[in-house]
Order: sequence, then structure tokens, then C-alpha cells
Amino acid sequence: MVEGFLFAMFAGVAVGCALGVVFHRNPVHCALLLVGVLLSLAGIFVMLHAQFVAALQVIVYAGAIMVLFLFVVMLLNIKGESPLLSPGAAKGFGFLFALLVCVELFWTVVQPGGQEGVMPEAAPLAHDFGSPAALGKLLYTTWLYPFEITSILLLVAVVGAVVLAKRKFF
Amino acid sequence: MDLGFLIEALVKILIVLGFVLLGVPLIVWMERKVLGHMQDRIGPQRVGPFGLLQTIADGMKLFFKEDLVPAQADKVVFAIAPAIAVVTALAAATVIPFGDQVHLFGRDIQLHITDVNIAILFLLGATSMGVYGVVLGGWASNSKYPLLGGLRASAQMISYELAMGVSLVPIILMTGSLSLAQIGRAQEHLWFVVPQFVAFVIYLVCAVAETNRAPFDLAEAETELVAGFHTEFSSMRFALYFLSEYANMMVVSGVAITCFLGAWYGPVLPGPVWFLIKLSLFLFFYVWLRATFPRLRYDQLMGLGWKVLLPVALLNLAVTAVVLTVRG
Repeated sequence: MVEGFLFAMFAGVAVGCALGVVFHRNPVHCALLLVGVLLSLAGIFVMLHAQFVAALQVIVYAGAIMVLFLFVVMLLNIKGESPLLSPGAAKGFGFLFALLVCVELFWTVVQPGGQEGVMPEAAPLAHDFGSPAALGKLLYTTWLYPFEITSILLLVAVVGAVVLAKRKFF
Repeated sequence: MDLGFLIEALVKILIVLGFVLLGVPLIVWMERKVLGHMQDRIGPQRVGPFGLLQTIADGMKLFFKEDLVPAQADKVVFAIAPAIAVVTALAAATVIPFGDQVHLFGRDIQLHITDVNIAILFLLGATSMGVYGVVLGGWASNSKYPLLGGLRASAQMISYELAMGVSLVPIILMTGSLSLAQIGRAQEHLWFVVPQFVAFVIYLVCAVAETNRAPFDLAEAETELVAGFHTEFSSMRFALYFLSEYANMMVVSGVAITCFLGAWYGPVLPGPVWFLIKLSLFLFFYVWLRATFPRLRYDQLMGLGWKVLLPVALLNLAVTAVVLTVRG
């Protein structure tokens, strides 16, 4: 009961804010609504016993990346959007991609399992499920190679950003 | 979830909230008094004994001031920005333990509102959301100095948050826990400031920078930016920013005490009293800093954060990890 209510709240806020991100004209408001989406997703992560992921979501995405977004938007002081495509074309492409995503989601969720869908019965969780310790253990054993490759990728991105920003070096 | 649990939680929430909200006027009074004496003045002394009620009077005055909103301001964001600042500061205060478990009325009562098992991450999350209060306040005013203040604040707080987080990781390595209560309990015999002195110094610097206090108060540098991000705020909105700044000071001091200065442990006196003593000393230290150091230049601030604090914090983390591994 409480769980259903909380889920409805977080999911509702997430969807509402996401719609706002798309439809609002002021870029700063859009960025703020995106923060709202990220925060309500963090709430849903907590309900799924993934506290660590929720904390990272708040610290990294809502707290750091979005602040940088805002920083740039504020620095450039964009008033209203400057459209890349003509409004008609933008709407056409928008609806096309939205439709594609819907079909894709429908396909993945409903198709293989028929009417019942593919959502399995929830397995009982280990007592430390979602804790930083359990997650760390998985990352450094089972998923060590993908994890390390991702970190190297990020390092390359950092070095690349510095090189691009400081062309005077060469 | 029985009735006793609810009452216990409610009482603890009231105590912590009341403590933070009533503590702020006291700290402001202390700051003005100490600053006064350090600058060879006497500070407030007219309202109440030793001028104790001066901040209350100032608060009342703010309360009755006209609430101005600039004509070109973004009304909605202008309204919620101060609220974000206060809410995040108060949310962070919920996980700080101020004493060990006590036995009262037949219940084992933990002396903190809640002990989430990721308390440190929760704290970092709350502080990182606190940036929005300052940044949005600066932007929504739609005026140049606040915008510059907001921009400075966002860059500064992001930079120092990083070093602050990394300086806390060695503590997590040593205790194997993210819970502040357990970190506190691990210091019964040895305060972490001894083995982790480097981390403590880094945390100290970052804490001052995170709370936008002198000598890192570039977001509200009055010599360049009038009053920075809160230039356009008046009345209770301004009071809310003021409140959040001092509440944040209490929070970061509380974390410093819990992680480095032996939490609530100390001889003879009970835990909460020791916590209070340490908190007061820490806040005094804050004021002392303000009276002593001139404000940093902006490039010095960024250089210090990225080129000194962060590398040293990372090195300290690596050394701690190696030492812990070698010792098993």
C-alpha cells in the first residue's frame, strides 16, 4: 500500500517533470525539471533496494553533471530556444522517434512472454543486496574487465577534453 | 513500526531541528562577538545580556521587512531557491549522530534521527544539491552581480566537493562502513585525526569552501559583487539564505567531528555534551578563520582545489589503501 503510493508519487513526478523538460521553453527551467526527473528516479532506485545507485544518481547526475549543465546555460545566457530544424520537421522527427521507442519497449516487454509479459517473479534478495559492499564485490570480480575498460574510456575522454580545450599546447 | 518508534522519531526530529534552528542565532551572535573582540571592538551588547538577543532582534527586523522581487526576476525559481538551500542543509543534519545509544523509557535510543547505511553518501548528495540554492538564487535574480556570484559558487562548490569526498574515503576504508554512527563508534580509543591528519586538513579546507565562508566566500565577495548571489534577496528570503549558511556550517562541523575528532567520545562528561563542546570549538574556529585570512583570488581558489587538495587527497587515499592492505 505505502509502496504503491510511493511508486505512484515518484513515477508521476518523474513523468511530469520529463514532459516539462520537453515542452518548457526556458532552458534553465528544462534543466531544473531534468533534475526533478533524476531525483524521482533516485527515489525509485531506493524502493528497489538499490540505495548505492540512488546515492550515485543524486551525487553524480543531479548534483554534479546537472550543475555543469546549468553553469553552461547560465554562462551563455540563452533566452529561449534557437531551433536547429524547422518546427514542422522537428515535430515530425520527434513523433517518429517517440513511436519507435514505444514499439521497441512494447516488443521487449510483451512480445517474448505473450500476454503475461516477461517480468519474472521477484526473486528473494540477498540481505546485502544493493549495498556498496555487494556492488563493489561484483564490480571487482565478475565485471572487472568491463569496469576497467569503462574507466580507461573515461580517462581518455578527460585527456581528450583537456587537449581540445588547451590547443595552445601544440 | 509501533507507536513508541513514531514518538521517538518525532522527538528526535524536533530536537535536531530545534537545535539547528535555535543554534543559528547563537552562532551568529558568537560570530559577531568574537569578530568584534578580534578586531578590537566589543561587538553587540545592547539587546539582552551581552547582546545575546541581538540576532533575535535582527531576525524580527528581517521578518517585517518588505519582500522585494526584482521586476525581471524568474518568480518561481526566485521563490524556491532559498528554500532549496535550507532544505538541503536540514536534510543533511538528519544523519549526524550526536551521541552513543542510550537506554531510556525501556527503549534503546540511537542519538541521531536516522542511520541510513550510506549516511556519508547521503550527506554528499545533500551538499551537492545545496549548490542549486546558491546557483539558482543568482540566476533567478536576473541581475549581473548575483549571476556572477552564482556562477562562481557553482564552479567552486563542484570543485571542492570532489576533494571533500575523496578526503572522507580513507575513513571509510579504515572502518569498512559508510554509516556515521559506526564511524563514530570506531573512534572510541583513537581519534581518526591522528592516523588521517592529511585527510583532516583537506576536509577542513573543503568544508570552509563548501559552506562559502571566508576566506572562500567568493560567491558573495562584497568588494567585487555587492553581495553576490543574494544581492536581490530581502526579508525572509534573505534570512533563509543566512540560515542555510549557518546550518551548513553546523553540518560540516558535525561531520568533521564524527569522522575525525572522535565523535561524541571524551572523558567524564556524557556523549552529547562532548559533541556540543567540540561543535562550539569548531564553529569558533570558523569565525577565527574569517577574522584572520584575506579572501582568495578566484584563480588561486581553483588552483588550490584542483592542483593541491585533490591530488593530495588521492595520494592520501592510495597510501591509506596500501598501508591497510599490507597490515592485513
